[in-house]
This record gives sequence, C-alpha cells and structure tokens, in this order.
Amino acid sequence: MSNMIEIKDLDANIGDKNILKGLNLALEAGKVHVIMGPNGAGKSTLSKAIVGHYDISVNGGEILYKGENIIDEEPEIRALKGIFLSFQNPVEVPGVNNAYFLRTAVNAKRKFEGKEELNAAEFLREAKGLATELGMKPELITRSLNEGFSGGEKKRNETLQMLMLEPDFIILDEIDSGLDIDALRAVSEGINKIKDGKRTFLIITHYSRILDYVEPDFVHVLKDGKIIKTAGPELVAELEEKGYTALGES
Amino acid sequence: MKSLDLNAGLDVLQAFQTQYNSTAFERLNELGLPGKKTEQYRYFDIAAFMQREWTLCQTQRVEVQEGKILEIVDGVVVQAPKGIKVSYSKQRTLNVAHFDPLYYLGHILSDAVIHIEASSDAKVKIVHRFTQSKVLYAYRVMIETAPNISLQIAESFVGCEAKESFVLYGYDLHAARDARVTIIKDETLVEGIYTPVYSHFVELEAQSSANMLSFDYGNADGLQLFGAKLGRESEFNAQHLLYVKGTCKRGTVSKIIHADKNAKSRQRAKNILGDKARGIFDALIKIEPEGGGTKALQNSQAVLLNDGAYMASKPQLEIYIDDVEASHGSTIGELDEQALFYLRSRGITLQEAQKMLILAFANEIIDAIEDEEIRESVHHSFEYVYYGEGHIECIATCHNCSDSIIGAK
Repeated sequence: MSNMIEIKDLDANIGDKNILKGLNLALEAGKVHVIMGPNGAGKSTLSKAIVGHYDISVNGGEILYKGENIIDEEPEIRALKGIFLSFQNPVEVPGVNNAYFLRTAVNAKRKFEGKEELNAAEFLREAKGLATELGMKPELITRSLNEGFSGGEKKRNETLQMLMLEPDFIILDEIDSGLDIDALRAVSEGINKIKDGKRTFLIITHYSRILDYVEPDFVHVLKDGKIIKTAGPELVAELEEKGYTALGES
Repeated sequence: MKSLDLNAGLDVLQAFQTQYNSTAFERLNELGLPGKKTEQYRYFDIAAFMQREWTLCQTQRVEVQEGKILEIVDGVVVQAPKGIKVSYSKQRTLNVAHFDPLYYLGHILSDAVIHIEASSDAKVKIVHRFTQSKVLYAYRVMIETAPNISLQIAESFVGCEAKESFVLYGYDLHAARDARVTIIKDETLVEGIYTPVYSHFVELEAQSSANMLSFDYGNADGLQLFGAKLGRESEFNAQHLLYVKGTCKRGTVSKIIHADKNAKSRQRAKNILGDKARGIFDALIKIEPEGGGTKALQNSQAVLLNDGAYMASKPQLEIYIDDVEASHGSTIGELDEQALFYLRSRGITLQEAQKMLILAFANEIIDAIEDEEIRESVHHSFEYVYYGEGHIECIATCHNCSDSIIGAK
C-alpha cells in the first residue's frame, strides 16, 4: 500500500522553542493511525504543521501528501486537497452562521474538485440529516459557529464538518477530550461511518478510551519531538500499563 | 438662494435673527463657529467647510402630497404618509445642553423646522434627497410623540447630484412619558458628493425609551453629533456601525446626560476601517448628581483592515454621584487570527474568510434592528458597499428560516 502522508526530517518551532526535532513518520493510506505521547511531546504541533497553522515555523524537512510536498501550501489549499484537522479546541466565531460557513466550505471543495455546488436546500437537507445522526440539536446548525456550544457540541460539530467535507486524510486532535460516553459514542460512530479503507486517519490522543470505539491499525509514540516507536494496536495496552517513561528507557 | 460667507464670522448671521432663534444665537455666540481647535471637531476637518463662502439653499415650500414615505427634497417636505402630522413651525424647542455649535447654526439658518407629531403608534420612512451641488443645506426636523406610543423612523439619504454640497441637518426628538422611539439611519456616502454634519438632540421624559441606530458606509467624510438627556427611569440605546474606506473621516461625537434617577444608557460602536480611512468615536456619558441608580455602558470596537487605517476612539465617563453602575471600553485591532485560520482550514480562501468575519462583526449591530424589512435593507446596503453587489443569501444572516428553505425546494 502507498503512503497517504510521509513526513521526513521535520524540524519545527513554535516561537523560539524547537518542538519537532527531525520527525519521521509514514502513514499508510486507508489505515487508522494513532499517535500517543506525553504532554509537550509535540503531538499538536505535528497536527498544526500538517495543516499549515500560523503558529508553526518549519525549519526543515518535508511533508509529502499523496507524494507531493505541501510544506509551502496555504492552509486552504491543503484543506481543498483533502486534509482535515478536527481541532482540540474549536474556535468560537460569533456572527458567522454555522450553516453558511459549512456550505461555503463544502462548495469551495466541490468547486475545487470540479463538482456542481450545492444549493441552500440541498445543503441544509444533508447537513440536518447528518446532524441528527450525530445527536446534534438542530438549532446548532443555524447558530453562530461554535458560539456558546458545549465541549461535546463542538466536537460533534467538528465531526459534522468532517462528514460533509469528505476529506481523504483526517487528523483528530484529542477528539475524545471533554466528551461524555454518549458524545464519545456518537463521534466515534461518525468516524466509523466514513472509514472506507481509502481514507487515512491520524488520531492524536492521551488516552485509550476512543480506541474502544475506533479500532487502530498502527500506534506511533511521539516523545521529545520524534517518533520513538511504531507498532500495532497491542502497543496501547503496553503504554497503559507501563507509561511513556518506561518506553523511552527501553 | 442666499450667499453666506462663514469665514466672515458670526456677524454674517445677523440677517437670520428672528424672535424664534434668539436662544440659538446666544448659545452660538458662547461657543463660536467651529474651527481647527474646536474640541468636538478635533478629528474632523471642519475648518474646510467654515472658511468659505456658501450659497445657502432655500427652497420654496410646496403642497405636501400624501404618500407612503416622508420625502424631504432639498429641505422641503414633498410627500408625507397618513398617520403622522407634518407641518412647518417657526417656534422650536432648543436644547441648550447641546455641545455642538453647528446644532445652533442649523437652527439659525433654518427659517422653520419640519415638525413631525406622532399621536399613535407609527412606522415612518424618511427619505432625504439633495439635488443641488456646491450649496449649503440647513434644515431641521422636530419630532414629538404623544405619551405611551411606539414610533419607528427609518432615515435614508440620496444625493448623487449634490456634488460638494454641505448638509447641516438634524432632529430634535422629544419622547413623551412611556413612549418608545426607534430611529434608524442608513447612509452610504461616495467621495465627491455632499458632506453631512448631522446634529441631533434626544430628550427622554420619564420611563420613555429611544433606540438610535446609525449605519454609516462609504468612502466620504461625514460626522454625526448628538446630545441626549435622559429623564427618570428612561432608557437610551445608541448603536453605530461604521464601515468606511478611502481617505475619509467619519464617525460619531456624542454626549449622553443622565439627568434623573434610574435611567439606563447603552452605547456601542463597531467600526471597520479600510485603506487610510479615519473612524471617529468621541463619546461622553455624563451622570449628573441627580442621576442616582444610573446604569451606563459604553463600548467601541474597531477593526483595521489596512496599516493606514486609523481609529480615533475616545469613550468617556463623567460621574458626579456614587450610586451608579457604569463602564466603558475600547478595542482596536485586526481580524481574529484564530478565527481566520479556522475558516481557512476548511478550504475557505483568506479573502472569503476575511469577508465572513467582517460581515459577522457588522451583523451584531445590524441584527439589533427589530423590523425585518429595515434590517434586510440595511444588510443590503452593507453588502452592496462590501461586495459591490447584494449577493449574500439568507443563510448567511440566518434568522431560523432554514426549515422554510428546505421546504421551498
């Protein structure tokens, strides 16, 4: 199988602090990959570097997406090419209507792919149907984007965006944080819904509980700005038992 | 038409003195004609309009036709709707608490005021039309309500032909006890047409309320100045949306006076400034010793779209009593970087993301208009200026009509 993402010697800073120190990682297409690691290891920095966040300055290395280096691409181009980040803390945008935002995004992607744009009725029918499946309150569709949403509602809204945008490569940055059992189940079902053996997932998490619902193929451990171990799902249990420190010493 | 050389000082105004405007003369003598050093005009180049000879536009009154709107052409009423009484009155009620010398000059130069009396609930659209170039317009409107009624006035302005004219207009609003008044101004100015300096005074009797909403767009100079005097348990809300570009100077100078107990005021300004435009928010809330139990909030936010844009923001509180709740604040910055990135991370271009955030910023004021028709009209004005055409669909400014959209197709 080919790689959806291949990261080579990625070195990146946030401000003056060097976070990623020559990171190498290959994500096989169509698989579910998990990145685990202690606080401050660089997990969120890695996700931000992949989507082109303004906080990150890349000092060197390559991020190959479908074989093409995207390191100099604008964030919207990366998104249009099929990269999606579900944010750990989705930003609240007062005054921007959730439906309007999402339809603009969906139609931007459809236009990029040479497809016909959705009209308001088509879009709302699809969005409301998916929102219902995710257990979202219908009024959240027409409220301001994420404004006043609970933690669980924000994560459901991220999942709704993911389902509507149908990306090829999906990064889920601590999608399970702050979720109760019902929300975790709903979000996981949303993820499983679009697992089709072609899409690639990168789940960034501290804990194993989302992995009870979404089965990983590979587990990568990120520590001190580098991937220090890659293994199968059995690694999760080992980490739960022994922690990251023991792994680092081995 | 009468020639008027304002550069010659107050003496040239003697010809306008009547028994009805002596108070205005007294106050203007005290304040003097504004110039470069006049406090209220420090951010606006008023000297350019004062130091020259003007032709004063004095239009012959015509018979008022019955129509759907109140139309004022070159300072003269040409049509008026049923339900309100419109007349001319030489007698006028001046509010000597007003700080603006041009408020008094406007009263002096207008032979009679247009008197609007609302005795029952009414919604009135006023269209001001200016048709002559290089003239000085000076006219005033006096609005009086009966007690316990609801009055909505929506003002718009048309003046493409009035190139380089100068407009001294304003209203004196007197809201009787328990009356509820909303005045909405929507004005887009294009460089080269008239320059407005509007000077209003709002007087609220006990337990009355007034909402003043102003929407100022475009790329040409203009200033609104107003005073407000709040009676016992009255409520005054002033909200201003400014969206200007080019090199213009535009904004609001105001003074809200809490003159009696338990009055509430809230003043909010949102300013979007592009190119090298200068926004003005110079606003004072004064709480008199008699104003116990006052609640007063004042806030100005500005978004600068370019390095050359500038916001002169000066919110002020002047408090002469302890028993009040009052706050004021001002922020000036750029569009929220986090929000911009979030939108871009979903495939929305930087330019489109900026537009969405600006529209959102503006919507917070536009959505304060309760009347749906007026709200949509103001939305349209904003979109027209921003996009050059009105092309936003209703889900952009959703008011929970999505079910009907789905059902309609």
